[in-house]
Amino acid sequence: MRAITAELSKLLSLLSVWVALAIGLIVPTAIVAINSVSTRKAIALGDHTAVGIDMGYQELAFGVIGAIIIGVIAVSSEYFTESGESGGGRQITTSLIARPSRLRFLLAKATAVAMVSAVLASASAVATMAEIRIFLGEHAPELGSADVPRLAGIVCYWVLSALLAFGITVLTRHGIVPLAILIVNTSVVTVTYLLTRITSLAYYFPDMAGIRMFIRNLDDSTVEMAPLVGGLVMTAWVAALLTIAAIVFCRRDA
Amino acid sequence: MLTIHQLVKRRGSRTILNGISFQARSGRVTGFLGPNGAGKSSTLRILLGLDSATSGEALINGVPYARLRNPLATVGALLDGSGAHRARTGRAHLSWIARSAGLPRSRVDEVLGIVGLTDAAAKRVGSYSLGMGRRLGLAAALLGDPEVLVLDEPVNGLDPEGIRWIRTLVRERAAAGRTVLLSSHLMGELAETVDDVIVISQGRIVADGTLAEVIGGHGTLENAFFALTTPNGRVAQ
Repeated sequence: MRAITAELSKLLSLLSVWVALAIGLIVPTAIVAINSVSTRKAIALGDHTAVGIDMGYQELAFGVIGAIIIGVIAVSSEYFTESGESGGGRQITTSLIARPSRLRFLLAKATAVAMVSAVLASASAVATMAEIRIFLGEHAPELGSADVPRLAGIVCYWVLSALLAFGITVLTRHGIVPLAILIVNTSVVTVTYLLTRITSLAYYFPDMAGIRMFIRNLDDSTVEMAPLVGGLVMTAWVAALLTIAAIVFCRRDA
Repeated sequence: MLTIHQLVKRRGSRTILNGISFQARSGRVTGFLGPNGAGKSSTLRILLGLDSATSGEALINGVPYARLRNPLATVGALLDGSGAHRARTGRAHLSWIARSAGLPRSRVDEVLGIVGLTDAAAKRVGSYSLGMGRRLGLAAALLGDPEVLVLDEPVNGLDPEGIRWIRTLVRERAAAGRTVLLSSHLMGELAETVDDVIVISQGRIVADGTLAEVIGGHGTLENAFFALTTPNGRVAQ
């Protein structure tokens, strides 16, 4: 427990983590704000199909960038090397001297990342759904009991994405590569999505499987996957990656 | 008490430590001396559980670091730089370590006072000078009021007043029956501070004894050091 509070304290005392939290809140709410302008116009013109079943959820799928950044920073900040003039030290030495059990250290860190990402995902989901209500009023899609598992799916997706980023960064010990790959894949060019054009196996990539937890309308999908199955596929990826990361981390010199 | 026994470290085909053995006893300040790349830092990193040994063992009061029940109350360590992330404030850095070891927050302010960083506690580590960073690293080492201090080049970057302060600190700890192992390449400084000297060169221990024993007939520790660590050391004298 002490180890987890220490890791939470580490995360929350970094400005970059607060920037990531802001990104997780701002990205989906900003996209909703932009989309609602055109949606309202369409409604005014009598097009009631403009409000899709995935409204809000699609935007939240982009907000996951915030959680990904947190997962990366949690690890890359440990390996950030001071300049030569400052002595060239790294925080990982301090961390492992304080917590010599590597597996416990990594578990505490992963738990802290999961906790922060879960809170961020919940806050962002509430803000996004509330915003849709404000912008579209009576035209907003109704939130009912069917949305509970979908919203839980959002939280799981963000937590698992953060842990995926965390695991990759443990292996690279550097934040730039995982950050670039994961952010580009989430926002600019979804490589994993493009690969589904080539092989339907690509639907089993962690992100493509994970979005099944809350996106209902993958109209061009050739593979049927229940939300629970999608979540399990993503969980399996993350579990495998974290296992490899833990083995490597426990074996290599700090 | 620190015990290094038959420690071997290989990286690829390179042998960094070639079966070294020595002890650092309690109540004494032990100086660990050697040229750059001789294996000082590798030895200390293995002792602290950061790197693994190819064979042999490094023990703290008879157990490897990883098995210490309360590591920060047993060993305080200072390695390269400050060991802190530059974006965090000095106080935030010490606070997470204190949390991790279950130490009270008041201890953070105490050690900030001891190392003279109270006024800089709210500043980001990135804005610290090398000397301030070293003081922060020392503050972290002192947090748990440990029985053993392991300091790698502690006076590096410190001003004369800081150097004197470190000397007083380690002498006081040894006088109180605690163990201090410190590495340095500043011969004059070391001769003023240590009781025992271990000299390492190319991954082997080339001298191990009290300060007087190691100096022997060389007159000064510096002369003894060059005689022990360079092939033409005796000629250079």
